[in-house]
Amino acid sequence: MINVTVAQKRIQESFVGFPERVTEAYLAFAEHEDMNSLDIAVLGVLQFYLAKKPTESLDSLPGTTRLVEDLGCDSLTMMDTVFMVETLLEIKIIDTELARMATLDDLRGYIRHRVKSGATTAA
Amino acid sequence: MAVPRVVVSGLGFVTSIGNDQAAVTASLRELRSGIERYDFIPGVDLPIKVVGTIKGFDTTALQWAGWRWPEGYAFNREVLRGMPPHGLYALCASEQVIADGRLTAAELTAEDTGLFCASAGSPRLLRHFLNQIYESRGDRIAPMGIVSAIAGTLNFNLAAHYGIRGAVAGFVSACTSTTHALGYACDEIKLGRQRRVLIVGGEDLSMDSIFPFHGMRALSRNPDPARASRPFDRDRDGFVGTGGAAAVLLEDAESARARGAPIYAELLGWGQAADGFNVANSDPNGRGLGTAMRRALAAAGVKPAEIDYVNAHATSTPAGDLSEAKALHALFTSAGVHPAVSSTKALTGHGLSFSGVMETAFCALGITQGFIPGAANLEHPDAACDGLNLPRTTLPTAPRTVLKNSSGFGGSNVCLVLRRWEP
Repeated sequence: MINVTVAQKRIQESFVGFPERVTEAYLAFAEHEDMNSLDIAVLGVLQFYLAKKPTESLDSLPGTTRLVEDLGCDSLTMMDTVFMVETLLEIKIIDTELARMATLDDLRGYIRHRVKSGATTAA
Repeated sequence: MAVPRVVVSGLGFVTSIGNDQAAVTASLRELRSGIERYDFIPGVDLPIKVVGTIKGFDTTALQWAGWRWPEGYAFNREVLRGMPPHGLYALCASEQVIADGRLTAAELTAEDTGLFCASAGSPRLLRHFLNQIYESRGDRIAPMGIVSAIAGTLNFNLAAHYGIRGAVAGFVSACTSTTHALGYACDEIKLGRQRRVLIVGGEDLSMDSIFPFHGMRALSRNPDPARASRPFDRDRDGFVGTGGAAAVLLEDAESARARGAPIYAELLGWGQAADGFNVANSDPNGRGLGTAMRRALAAAGVKPAEIDYVNAHATSTPAGDLSEAKALHALFTSAGVHPAVSSTKALTGHGLSFSGVMETAFCALGITQGFIPGAANLEHPDAACDGLNLPRTTLPTAPRTVLKNSSGFGGSNVCLVLRRWEP
């Protein structure tokens, strides 16, 4: 569970330039552990780092949307996203499992799983 | 085949005295300072109180997403995500030099267009990333941490962004870095290896970049922005730091003419020599600098009497300025010649690795626009300067031939000779 005060501090430090909808979703997740808000926050982070951003928000796209082929997500974009998501959610994303994620549903499901299983990190 | 003549065919500025050519020219003519009071840590009384500030930018956020820059530039996340704060300044200066030099995309990406850069990296970002690594026990490592923070960040990022396919290199000789870059770029063109080379330097403006120099008591503790940086003055007490970026396009003269690029000056030649004396202090008699100046003049085929203006390295440190004054006496005063001498660091502060390219660009402006910047803030010239021609105000005359000096840690000294373009 994420401390709300810590979450608010992270919004100021790490979410500079992010859309308000994404920061609000992150705060809502911290307050209520609402999984829909978690999805919006995580996909909002990915969308922020994509070189060519779709006009729609990623959470409105089909879950089968492919990260590489459809969204142009390269390895550095994915690493930027992972770094931010790990920081915000206090989880550790395993490199080998990351490599298996191909679609938005894969990413969403994996992050939900890591959060629910409490796979926290030291930081 | 004749050795190509090398010319300055484009300029770009993000400096404390202006963020474009017109503003910089006005500041140099009118001796308008870019130095201000600055709170590195708001509310904390620090020993260093003034810096050459960069106006119109906000790079206080650790993440690029929080940075702001003046209107007229459009940068996306792809280019900014691997950049340090001074990378943003360097991008803007590069955009200016490309536009000013009328470089097309095809010319920019040609195999005979190179890019030489210099900066100290970003100590502030490096501290942040290293702290993350230690605090997370190796779990939190920012993906772009290395390329955005270490020395070389400008050549990594700018070469990739602009698709440079010619010679790309970074220079790390401290305050002579971009002067070295200009010298070696000149050689690359004269040897026929490159048709043109962009030289870009930049530095962060942060406590992490500037305060380390306080450790060796090299910074001025004077809180008065109008008096803190006073090269060659009796009461000087150290340099004033600054951040920013500057860019110069050096090019084979025939290429520049054929393209219709502006030609600001010819880079006739350059020279270098080291002091062999001390890691941080200059040779007290300016021996290495004297040798570098003589070598530059010899390479340029110019006699001391032909130099109209010396843009001095003088940073306003007691020892460094004294050393340069002695070197200037040995070369000029003893020969009975008295070129105008000034250090524009009185206005800008000391730009460290990018000072050389910034001040070379200033010289190019003086040559084409007809002025010699005065020695600002000079109230009581040091007795060691007796016999040097230090004009207190800007002279409304165009220098034909200019000597640009730079000195750096390890006793490096690099000098360039520029001349009005005479086809």
